[in-house]
Amino acid sequence: MSKTSWADEVDEQVLPEREVISNADGTKTIAEYRLNDDGKVVKLTRRVREKVVQEHVNRAVADRKKWAKFGQEERSPAGPQQSTTTVGEAVWLKLSQYAAQQKQMEQEAMEQEKAAAIKSSRIRCRICRQEHFTAKCPYKDTLVPLEEITGTAAAGASGDAAPGAAAARASETKNSYVPPHLRAGGRAGAGPSSAFDSLGERRDDLPKIRITNLSEYTQDEDVKNLCRAFGPVSHVYLATDRETRMCRGFAFVTFYDTDSAKKAIEKLSGYGYDHLILSAEWAAPR
Amino acid sequence: MRPIMLQGHTRALTQVKYNSDGDLLLTVAKDKVANLWYAHNGERVGTYEGHEGALWSIDCNKPTTLVVTGSADNTARLWHAETGKQLHVWEFPTAVKRVEFSRDDRHVLMVTEERMGHKSGIYVFAVDSGSPAQSNEPVAVIRPSPSKATVASWSYLDRYIVAGHEDGSLALYDWKYEEPAMRATAHDAGITDIQMWKDGTYFITSSRDKTARLFETSSLNPLKVYKADTSLNSAALTPTQELVILGGGQAASEVTTTSSRQGKFESRFYHKIFEDEVGRVKGHFGPINTIAVQPDGKAYASGGEDGYVRVHHFDPDYYKFKYDY
Repeated sequence: MSKTSWADEVDEQVLPEREVISNADGTKTIAEYRLNDDGKVVKLTRRVREKVVQEHVNRAVADRKKWAKFGQEERSPAGPQQSTTTVGEAVWLKLSQYAAQQKQMEQEAMEQEKAAAIKSSRIRCRICRQEHFTAKCPYKDTLVPLEEITGTAAAGASGDAAPGAAAARASETKNSYVPPHLRAGGRAGAGPSSAFDSLGERRDDLPKIRITNLSEYTQDEDVKNLCRAFGPVSHVYLATDRETRMCRGFAFVTFYDTDSAKKAIEKLSGYGYDHLILSAEWAAPR
Repeated sequence: MRPIMLQGHTRALTQVKYNSDGDLLLTVAKDKVANLWYAHNGERVGTYEGHEGALWSIDCNKPTTLVVTGSADNTARLWHAETGKQLHVWEFPTAVKRVEFSRDDRHVLMVTEERMGHKSGIYVFAVDSGSPAQSNEPVAVIRPSPSKATVASWSYLDRYIVAGHEDGSLALYDWKYEEPAMRATAHDAGITDIQMWKDGTYFITSSRDKTARLFETSSLNPLKVYKADTSLNSAALTPTQELVILGGGQAASEVTTTSSRQGKFESRFYHKIFEDEVGRVKGHFGPINTIAVQPDGKAYASGGEDGYVRVHHFDPDYYKFKYDY
């Protein structure tokens, strides 16, 4: 028995020949069989109308059209191969002497769109709270925001002075670290005025904050002026270079009462001063 | 128009060129083969194989019997156009960046790179289309100085060789005496392409300084300037309409380092006389390295850094375009 295995049979599968049927209306129906990517045989039926277009070319060109393929194309059949030649998507060439102007207009439109996109996004100035970058703020150089801050600071200070506010604050800070000079136990019942009285001679126990990222042209007086808005200032220490007498970028400010110091930290953190953005925090205990 | 896309190369195209009848298209890229295509339908006729490095340049003679290629493997080779058979190898100390048959097909010029202590040179060899043996002895060797030559082309009647240099200058070389006849500063940066008008009396240059310029050959007088907004790699003249086609774009190495603006990978059409941009054709995904116009002016081909050649046959609208003045 010369029975072949079933696996061989599959390999020997022969694709049916290409069929061409001439139709009555002058068209042709071409049926082709080919293997698709999954290895299945597919029948491809096309109906075409052949139109002979006569083209006159010189003899040399006509001869070259009969050239045999060579190199990597040696075994390829006649006609363009799909592996190397494809028809791309349609492109348009619109020749116009105003093309350059149109292009410019398009570009302008694009820029406007971009500007609109920026406007609609959430950009907010730190100084005036308007929708533009802080760097572009018209009030950048006039110290308007400071007045604004001090206004709120003053209002806040007066509000905090009301009885009961201190208790509320104490409950607020329950979970976070409280420096010794702020602890309720240390200064139980001591109001701002009493602190001024009893601890005036001991600066170490007064609330002290550290302001950093000051510009090098800052003077003692400037820092004092800046901080006076938040409450009475006991002392200002501005770190200066020994030789040049220029500011080294940070300062310690001692307030007479905790509320003012706290307010100052709150307001001065992120405050733009002399082209730099300040940061303020409690001074590290000695 | 629907461009025909030719995918015969695996790397960036370096030159595309039509033969003189415009029925065949020759392409070379930084891979190692040169391709021959039918221009009307994009069918690949064959490949010229044998080079061992990137190919920089290709040309064929007027009857399209011989093809010459220049390569980074320090050789230039002569091929039988119809069969792809290699006929001759010329060896050089450095890469061959540009090759071109003279107008009478009796000579071929080769521009070599300046590298490893070897000076750049423009070599002229005699080519005998009748016999299989070719001379290895150059007829003339020009040493461009102070800057190396990047491109060169034969002038009218093969009288001079016009060369573009890395420093943006142009020179007219009296090649028989191996000396410069004239020099002119042309561009602010390296010249990337030079293409002659069909009679060789004027030519267009493209440069990395973002301009293309038209020059008269006999005097190197600047005639026209075409300003683009990107560095240009190629410039071609169209024979029927009064147009020039420029191609370029950001260098591939700079695409990721610059802002997200598009890379400007379009062919730009400028009016030859009025220097105005009149249209653009999109398509390539990378800078356009080379552009060639079919000698009858009915099509043009562009080769890009993306490895594709796109052959565009112009729509009827193209021939109706008129510039009001």
